[in-house]
Amino acid sequence: MTAAVSELKAQAAGRRLPLLLSLALREQRNGLGGFYVFIACVALGVAVITGVGALADALRSSFERQGEMLIGGDVVLARPHRPAEGQERDWLWRQGRVSETATMRAMARRSDGAEQALIELKGVDGDYPLVGSVALAEGLSLAAAVRNGIGAVVDPILLDRLNLKVGDSLSIGRLEVPIRASIVAEPDRITERLGVGPRVLVSLETLRRSGLVDPGSLVSWRYALKLTPDAAAVADRLAAFRGAVKEALPEAGFSIRDRRDPSPQVSRTLERLRQFLTLVGLAALLVGGVGVANAVATYLDRRRKVIAAFKSLGAGRRIILGVHLLQVVFIAAIGIVSGSLLGMLIPLGLTAVLGDALPIKADITLTGRSLLTAAAYGLLVSLLFSLWPLGRAEQVPAAVLFRDEVAPEPVLPRWGIVALTVCVGALLAAFAIFTSEARSLAFYSCLGVIAVFAIFAGLGALTSRVARRMKRPRRPELALAIGNLGAPGGLTRSVVMSLGAGLSLLVTVALVDRSVVAELTERLPDSSPNYFILDLKREESEAFHKLVAREAPEAHIEQAPMLRGRIMQVAGHPAEQVKAAPEAQWVLNGDRGLSYSETVPAGSKLVAGQWWPADYAGEPLVSLEGEIANGLGLKLGDTVTVNVLGRNVTARLANLREVKWESLSLNFVLVFSPNTLRGAPHNLLATVTLPKDAPLASEAKLAQAIGRAFPASTAIRVKDAIDAFGVIFARVMVAVRTAGSVTLVAGALVLAGALATAQRRRIQQAAILKTLGATRRRILLSHLLEYVILAVLTSFISFLIGTAAAWLAVTRVMELEFTFSLGAALQAVLLATILVAAFGGFGTWRVLRAPTIPYLRAD
Amino acid sequence: MAKNLISLSNVNLTLPSRAGPVAILQQVALEIAAAEAVAIVGPSGSGKTSLLMVVAGLERATSGRVVVAGHDFARLDEDRLAAVRGANIGIVFQAFHLVPTMTALENVALPLEFAGKPDAFERAREMLSEVGLAQRADHFPAQLSGGEQQRVAIARALSPRPQILLADEPTGNLDGKTGAQVVDLLFELQRRRQSTLLLVTHDPSLARRCGRVVQMHDGAISGAELVSA
Repeated sequence: MTAAVSELKAQAAGRRLPLLLSLALREQRNGLGGFYVFIACVALGVAVITGVGALADALRSSFERQGEMLIGGDVVLARPHRPAEGQERDWLWRQGRVSETATMRAMARRSDGAEQALIELKGVDGDYPLVGSVALAEGLSLAAAVRNGIGAVVDPILLDRLNLKVGDSLSIGRLEVPIRASIVAEPDRITERLGVGPRVLVSLETLRRSGLVDPGSLVSWRYALKLTPDAAAVADRLAAFRGAVKEALPEAGFSIRDRRDPSPQVSRTLERLRQFLTLVGLAALLVGGVGVANAVATYLDRRRKVIAAFKSLGAGRRIILGVHLLQVVFIAAIGIVSGSLLGMLIPLGLTAVLGDALPIKADITLTGRSLLTAAAYGLLVSLLFSLWPLGRAEQVPAAVLFRDEVAPEPVLPRWGIVALTVCVGALLAAFAIFTSEARSLAFYSCLGVIAVFAIFAGLGALTSRVARRMKRPRRPELALAIGNLGAPGGLTRSVVMSLGAGLSLLVTVALVDRSVVAELTERLPDSSPNYFILDLKREESEAFHKLVAREAPEAHIEQAPMLRGRIMQVAGHPAEQVKAAPEAQWVLNGDRGLSYSETVPAGSKLVAGQWWPADYAGEPLVSLEGEIANGLGLKLGDTVTVNVLGRNVTARLANLREVKWESLSLNFVLVFSPNTLRGAPHNLLATVTLPKDAPLASEAKLAQAIGRAFPASTAIRVKDAIDAFGVIFARVMVAVRTAGSVTLVAGALVLAGALATAQRRRIQQAAILKTLGATRRRILLSHLLEYVILAVLTSFISFLIGTAAAWLAVTRVMELEFTFSLGAALQAVLLATILVAAFGGFGTWRVLRAPTIPYLRAD
Repeated sequence: MAKNLISLSNVNLTLPSRAGPVAILQQVALEIAAAEAVAIVGPSGSGKTSLLMVVAGLERATSGRVVVAGHDFARLDEDRLAAVRGANIGIVFQAFHLVPTMTALENVALPLEFAGKPDAFERAREMLSEVGLAQRADHFPAQLSGGEQQRVAIARALSPRPQILLADEPTGNLDGKTGAQVVDLLFELQRRRQSTLLLVTHDPSLARRCGRVVQMHDGAISGAELVSA
């Protein structure tokens, strides 16, 4: 009797999952052989994404947990120049426990004047710190060290630099201050701006008596508050307190920070770095995806007869697809789990390697979000690149059981699988875009990846086609190489795709790196100043000029009035409500340097509006840097309100300037008409430029003379500042380069996998050639020629694509000037050629060593 | 007269090739009754195996009508063909084609599992006993001799109790003695189960063990001979 087909299907449907699962598990009995490249590709990408996420999570959770400790209270109010006085002070002290500190840059000198150093000086009151404690090496309490008369505790680095020891004295401003102890830990260090020098802690009283604090000095006054003893509903209380400050002290100009986000700048930087590295990780994963596709295709190719046997025994396409899809998911899961474990170790490794470079200790804290993101990427990429070969596998005709195939004809998967592949790709793109803060960047990255894959798929197909149509060369080795390039089921497409995608990424990273480094180190103008002098008093200007003329007659001095202020309103709207473009946002975050000038400052060019006349006496006017004005949505005639020394000053936008920041001249975003700010107490900012060939000793001598003559001023050596920035930048670039090299490892893995896909057929071909009298040299030469042609073609196109991508990233995303470096690009290309030669050579070596007979026998 | 279980009329099979279309089968007409044993003989390239594949539904006829176990193959898609095959047709190959990652028992149970039989393993075990390999049930193909592998393949082909058994050179990969044992087993099971057997072979003595011998030449049936028992 014939069983009804529908009945059979119904029976089968009821048992489908367990059957698929049990078949998949039986199929897996061969172990993981052939899947190592698959696992490695997925694990590598997932490890980078998890690692980056884990590091960011660890830092963020440490931040949140230690928020109170890091900022030194529940809330910190800060403003430049002016301490809280009168009603402000009364109001603040009514809100809870308060600690007052004042921080500034200053010069510290040995008492004999022989050495001096730039320091971060902090004056603290009796209640400091409200949370945590300052640990001192000598076992003293902070109170004992700095509050009993004049005394300082210092960062041990300063002792080294000035060759001093505890018990010696230090000249700070007008005072000789004995060093009582060295600092081991300072609780709220991270939240203050990046230190340019070692910390020196003194009492507020000592700071005042040093003569360094006057109304124009660059002093940041900070008020840490402990609002409530219980932590319950702290978020509500903090929000309410922020509101209360605005209501009670509307013109005070305080910036407010609370324990929930102790350092918004660090958080933002962290988030950007996380996104960038996640994109790099994803790129590695996508390059690895080609490896996944190759591995799956090779595996399924080896399973063709088993698939055909399944079909001959009554298995439908769904069973074939289901069994192998389950296997892919299983293998991907191994890759995802091992990648996640590896990724979770990255913060530990980084803490061990970088140690103090990280702002705080990173614990292993992994949020579900990071883990799920990495797992989702791993799974989606595995599916995306497996569906196509799986779709082709389910089309394997059962007829292969009866007849041997020389090379299977390529077939397209059925449309359902094609649609599913497109859906998974779209899901992956959507996931990348919507989990990213910089969505347009993620969107364009996705488009770029699609374009790269399309270009290399096209190049592979074109190479095959051209090779097929070429006239057969006379030399047999070349004829064999060209034949292999054009052969159906040959290496051309997979190697071009694998190598091309990986190499393009590598060239991109190499050139972006080069441009950023060049931006920082090589683009300094020849005439950049040697020193910036901060906090030069107005009345000291003449004496300063005389001193410099005496000590270094060749030196050139520029000077400008310098005030600190915070933008409160933009075109009448409160600053915190202004939706600024990302590149202009920093202007609204905290205090900015302000100046006034009768003429257009050097290094600036007027691009819109008119500069005010020298004797202008009308309503306050301001000049803004053009791109910043655009970013803030300001146009000529709009008003800008700035809080200077606690007073709100509103000025009308009279003109826009283009500023050459890299000239390191005295440039300010905001320059006012002189009548606006001339009356406000302020100091001067000056630059001193020595002739290019001036010896280092004369530079140091001048600095010492300035330090001695103007103890309240601070000299910052430009090279030191650039070096300090360079150190931080170098660390960031280490992360970027490491991530970039991960893509190289992925590319290498993929390449190895791609070459392995054709290995069996290569050995078969070599066996036949050997029986026909081909020498090993001839076979080796033919393979080598094939690889060289592939490497040269792919490198050239990758070079072009990588350069274009780097140019876009540098000029459009980072908005820097693009520096093309042939060396950097060639390095990447050379590496690729070596890789292909090494992997290809190893493959050929195995081909030549393989015994001939087994490959000439039938199954 | 017994009802025809396999019915081919005017079957043509043309396959594309780089040199142009090649006619593999031409105007083939063949009727095979239930429980009949038919051998197909002919030189290499005469279309014997292609004919077997068309009967198995593994190759679709370019034109003509193929009706097997009451199913008109032209009306079935690939998955339905697979289901019909699973329920009605068992195939024995020259190269056995056992699944290397599965034990003998699992190989035999496979078509029953595909057909959704809840007692797949019990029936597979019985089937292995019938071919004399009960004690080898948990061995993998690589641990079995050629003759044993082919006996497992026969057990696998017969485990869903198909009405039709197709065999393509079933002794081609075996030595003479082992081949004879396997053939004895094949005919014994066919007789016991009253299956219809369609056998492709180069071996005239093996062909003569069938009730009818069909000769093929250049893709067409060139003659047929009834063999007296």
